[in-house]
Amino acid sequence: MLEKGKISALQMTVLLYPTITATAILVLPATTGNFAKQDMWLSPIWASIFGYLSVFIAYLLHHYYPQKTLIQFSEKIVGVIPGKLISFGFLFFLLHTNGLNLRDYGEFVIGNFLPKTPMIVIILSMAFVCAITVYGGLEVMARASQFFFPVFVVLFLFIIILLVPVLNPENIFPILGEGLTPSLKGALIPSQWFNEFILISFFLPYLNRNGKGLKWGIIAVTLVMITLVISNLFSLLLFGDLTPFFTYPFMDAARYISIADFLQHVESIIMALWVTGMFIKISVFYYAVVIGVAQWLDLTNYRPIVFPIGFLLVVVSIWSTPSLQKLIDFSGTTWPFYAFLFQMLIPISLLFIAIIRKKRSK
Amino acid sequence: MAWNLLKPKKQKKKKKQTATKQSKQGQNPLSTNLSDNKNQLRSIYQDCSDFILRSFMISGKHQAILIYMDGLSNREEIDDNVLSPLMVKTQEDQSDLQIDKLIKNRVSISDVKEVKTIEDCIQLISSGNPVVLVNNSKTGFSVGLPQWEKRSIEAPEAEKAIRGPREGFVETLAVNISMLRRKIRSPKLKMQSMEIGRYTKTNVIITYIDGVVDKTLVEEVENRLKRIDIDGILDSGVIEEFIEDNPYSPFPQILETERPDTVTGNLLEGRIAILVDGSPSALIVPITFYSFLQANEDYYNRFLIATAIRWLRFILVIISLLLPSLYVALLTFHQEMIPTALLISMASSREQVPFPAIVEVLIMEITFEALREAGLRLPKQIGSAVSIVGALVIGESAVSAGIVSAPMVIVVAITGIASFTIPRYSAAIALRMLRFPLIFLGGMLGLLGIMLGIIMVIVHLSTLRSFGVPYLSPMAPMKYSEIKDTMMRAPWWKLNKRPHLTGEYNEYRQSSGQKPSPIRGKD
Amino acid sequence: MHLLRTNILLRTILICLLLLVLNGCWDRVEINDLAIVMGIGLDKTEEGDIELSVQIANPKAMAGSGSSGGQSSGNPIVVETVTGRTIFDARSKLQESLSRQLFEGHNRVIFISKALAEEGIQKHIDFFARFPSPRLRANIFIVDSKVIDILKVPSDFELNSSEVARELAKLKIGMNITTKDLLEQLANESSSIALPSITVEDKPVGTKGLRVNGSAIIKENKMVGEIDNALSRGVLWLRDEIKLSSVTLEPENTEGYISFKLLRSSTDLSPTIKNGKWKMVVNITTEDDVVENETNLDVLDPKITDKLEKQLEQKVTERIQKTLDYVQKEIGADVFGFGEAFYRKFPKQWNKEKDMWAEKFPELEVEINCKAYIRRPGRSNIPQGTQKEEGVKK
Repeated sequence: MLEKGKISALQMTVLLYPTITATAILVLPATTGNFAKQDMWLSPIWASIFGYLSVFIAYLLHHYYPQKTLIQFSEKIVGVIPGKLISFGFLFFLLHTNGLNLRDYGEFVIGNFLPKTPMIVIILSMAFVCAITVYGGLEVMARASQFFFPVFVVLFLFIIILLVPVLNPENIFPILGEGLTPSLKGALIPSQWFNEFILISFFLPYLNRNGKGLKWGIIAVTLVMITLVISNLFSLLLFGDLTPFFTYPFMDAARYISIADFLQHVESIIMALWVTGMFIKISVFYYAVVIGVAQWLDLTNYRPIVFPIGFLLVVVSIWSTPSLQKLIDFSGTTWPFYAFLFQMLIPISLLFIAIIRKKRSK
Repeated sequence: MAWNLLKPKKQKKKKKQTATKQSKQGQNPLSTNLSDNKNQLRSIYQDCSDFILRSFMISGKHQAILIYMDGLSNREEIDDNVLSPLMVKTQEDQSDLQIDKLIKNRVSISDVKEVKTIEDCIQLISSGNPVVLVNNSKTGFSVGLPQWEKRSIEAPEAEKAIRGPREGFVETLAVNISMLRRKIRSPKLKMQSMEIGRYTKTNVIITYIDGVVDKTLVEEVENRLKRIDIDGILDSGVIEEFIEDNPYSPFPQILETERPDTVTGNLLEGRIAILVDGSPSALIVPITFYSFLQANEDYYNRFLIATAIRWLRFILVIISLLLPSLYVALLTFHQEMIPTALLISMASSREQVPFPAIVEVLIMEITFEALREAGLRLPKQIGSAVSIVGALVIGESAVSAGIVSAPMVIVVAITGIASFTIPRYSAAIALRMLRFPLIFLGGMLGLLGIMLGIIMVIVHLSTLRSFGVPYLSPMAPMKYSEIKDTMMRAPWWKLNKRPHLTGEYNEYRQSSGQKPSPIRGKD
Repeated sequence: MHLLRTNILLRTILICLLLLVLNGCWDRVEINDLAIVMGIGLDKTEEGDIELSVQIANPKAMAGSGSSGGQSSGNPIVVETVTGRTIFDARSKLQESLSRQLFEGHNRVIFISKALAEEGIQKHIDFFARFPSPRLRANIFIVDSKVIDILKVPSDFELNSSEVARELAKLKIGMNITTKDLLEQLANESSSIALPSITVEDKPVGTKGLRVNGSAIIKENKMVGEIDNALSRGVLWLRDEIKLSSVTLEPENTEGYISFKLLRSSTDLSPTIKNGKWKMVVNITTEDDVVENETNLDVLDPKITDKLEKQLEQKVTERIQKTLDYVQKEIGADVFGFGEAFYRKFPKQWNKEKDMWAEKFPELEVEINCKAYIRRPGRSNIPQGTQKEEGVKK
């Protein structure tokens, strides 16, 4: 085995939770608000169905091919050459998406906190930290994220509690005023974020007790769903119809906090939240790419390719998009379909072929 | 680890040598001819003025010599209980009584050992046991009469406590061992002896409680100690550096303590202590990061208070690591976060300061570290002078001279106080040094830089292990049952389980259900 | 050996990265290089340009107390004015003449002149939502004189006049509207907003102070009218934002007045649509304390209290009706959130008639149901100087 470390099911959950939440928590209220208006808090619930589906598909595939990741069993299922091709596509998708994640992070930091700092410094420093983590291996990543998870949750709750006094509960009405359609439309983009749960396929083989994988996967999806519902709901209750006008509504919500003239402008807490979350997200994707490439090339050790892939990652994130507008446009229009292909269609068809093969062999 | 790779094959050969030394093969047996032995020892101890060799006749018949090192053995006892009984001529021993029986009968000392080789001789002599060699005999006798000047037991200076035992280890291994034995009277307390150092031949003792400790862990400690090949061990700190898991980390991975009660507590939790002759600090392995934030007193004080104090320490650890860098970041990057009134008063106090905030912080932090270091080495009488200089010159005058701003002095002072609350000096100093890179990061990238710095520190801590135990456990990886003795200090009657370190272990330390209640008392 | 080499590689990368970072501190600004903006004023010049005035804190003037025994010199605030085509244009011009970098992160008050508000307000407020440093929580005021006069007013208690204005708004005597509220209302085409109006007061002569002076009604992005403090209070009642209010009654059959202090009040807007007829029912529940009693009424007597409650209800209803008469009927600005209430309850009907709201609103039937409770008689129960027995029972 390439990875000698073992993680617990709980650690898998704390790795996956920030992976999905980090990006979504800030951008989601704006993207869903565009379509769903005051029903936007419902959208994550619909979208989470895809999360459950992803976890379930990954679990079944894992069930058929234990000890193997998606990269390895795709060869077993559809043959070596088509398998390699599919894996390549998948790895490219992961690398590209991770590049976009990194860029997202850079854009956020520069747009809100450090306008004059060059993008390359921001991206490179983050990529470097992630590279060290991935270099440390799965156990180190899991431990670090287990350490940050409580911090993440506490900071999130802190902001939520501080927001309570300024909320306007009336903003939630009318519920389902225009039927289900707007909230379903709003669920379109987040559904693909939930589909990122397919990454669980890279962790299931390394669990120290196998039986609990599905249970904790489902817990992870549920936690993410609850968090996103809360962040959407609070943005809605604070800003109402204004929500989609902001690029990062949840951050502007945090900026609005002012308790007794002393505790104010706590958006830096949001940055801390976002940076830790993004750190785990990028590391998880990064790790999946590194271990995937190592398996794809049948290497015996993945550590030598950590830094080269990190370099590639930085290059992808710098070159993938020229500006924030293009990035938002891309992730709102092209990316959902592109992601759907790799995160949903390919795994699900792999699963079908695997089931058919198993039946035939019997 | 990289350490192995740095020291190539040579070391392995040496290991073999030390291994063979233990067996009797390579040693010189004593000769039956006394003068041969005498000459050999004389040449070994050439130019050693403290070497004492006394020739005498046992009962006026057998030629014998007594050898010892001046100052290492009790001279009066030797004269009264060894020399005079042996030299007395009595009628009874006209018989052909065997010489060894004769000596055992005559010498009124409890600890008499037979010696067969020159090497054994040397070892015993240098540890303070006089040796008697007799003509025409292949075996000599050593008498257990070591005695040397030692420091009396005092309260440990570095680990003071308000409640709890006040004794501390001293430099003498035998005394330290006796202190432990007095605390744990069970024969299950094992002490494995070992000699390290080509010249110093320092006695090192691995101590643990059989049946509580994981055996593989003991083997691991033994193996790591055996690997050490060095000319001398000056203090347990030298050993620490040889047996660490991650030598490049600023964080200590081995706990050192001067308190027998701390050692006992850790032994009872299934840990292993290493005692080194000549060093008052024992080493304890394996440990976690949280061990450094716990004081022995936590276990003697009321648990609610102890829990509160532990939380206070957590907060202070964060302050001591982050406060200066946060100050720089807020002041130069995130001015909007400071309350308006405070910002204006800070701005007005900084109006005359010529340096940028980051330089100001560095000046003050370095000055503070200098004061601390200076105060540490100075005699007590001058120490107070340093604190006056520190408080007046640095605090007051620097502000009124407009070199630093008043808020800066407050920040540095709070940071300093916070770092002194960490019970273990080695951990406190690690955190204190990490403060500087964080100040730089905070000055370059603001809060983002600090966040990245924190992430780096946490990732680094996640990679660390101490003898196989993850450094951040029981937080990461999470062990729910151990949270009650890290995040808080549960009452003793709740601490039924020992922490899990590695491998098999003895899970329960006491019977459950001992919560005191008046109803039970009536029965 | 392989591990060792990567270690060296790691360290080299780290050092390179550090060097890269050390190269510059791009966003670092010392607080002594900041001009901390405490208040912003927007005015219109005769040529139609924007006149931007900023109130900047002067830390040097405040330094005196502590170090080096220097006397506090100069004014604690500095006011600068500059004109430009847009706010940022003006700001850039202002920056040219300032030795310190303008910093809006602590600006908590925006004053907009009446002249500018009458022309349209949205385009000016956009800057405050887009530019990173200004706060969304900044209070917005309409000023009927020159904005710069407000900024120059010295203040007695607070640091500066902007702070005075903000504290006044916080007390909820008049409207308390932040940038976020304004943006929210502007995003919603059907509703209007009432912005607090503030003015410079010259009483007593020689000293200057600020005074909340009613509200300005903004409808469809333009200021369309002004209401006085009493009417503003009515708006607050209807928006369920009233915090501080006093009602003074002149009870029947006796001489003098009784004053009540509002403890808490809640307003509930419940719209109804019956047979296509839209109607708004306003339910107000208010709890008050007696704070002053000039009459000889025994306010402990439940019967009298009942009567007083009735009168109180009448008085409140009267006040609100007055507000409605002017704001709803004459100006036709929905500053009360009636439209929103309809939308929340009847989203389908609302969507159909949304475009007609402007015509529909002034004709909307409003029913006010007020319930008042007098909770406590205050510290003394009957008026001083009257014996308990003499307390008139009527």
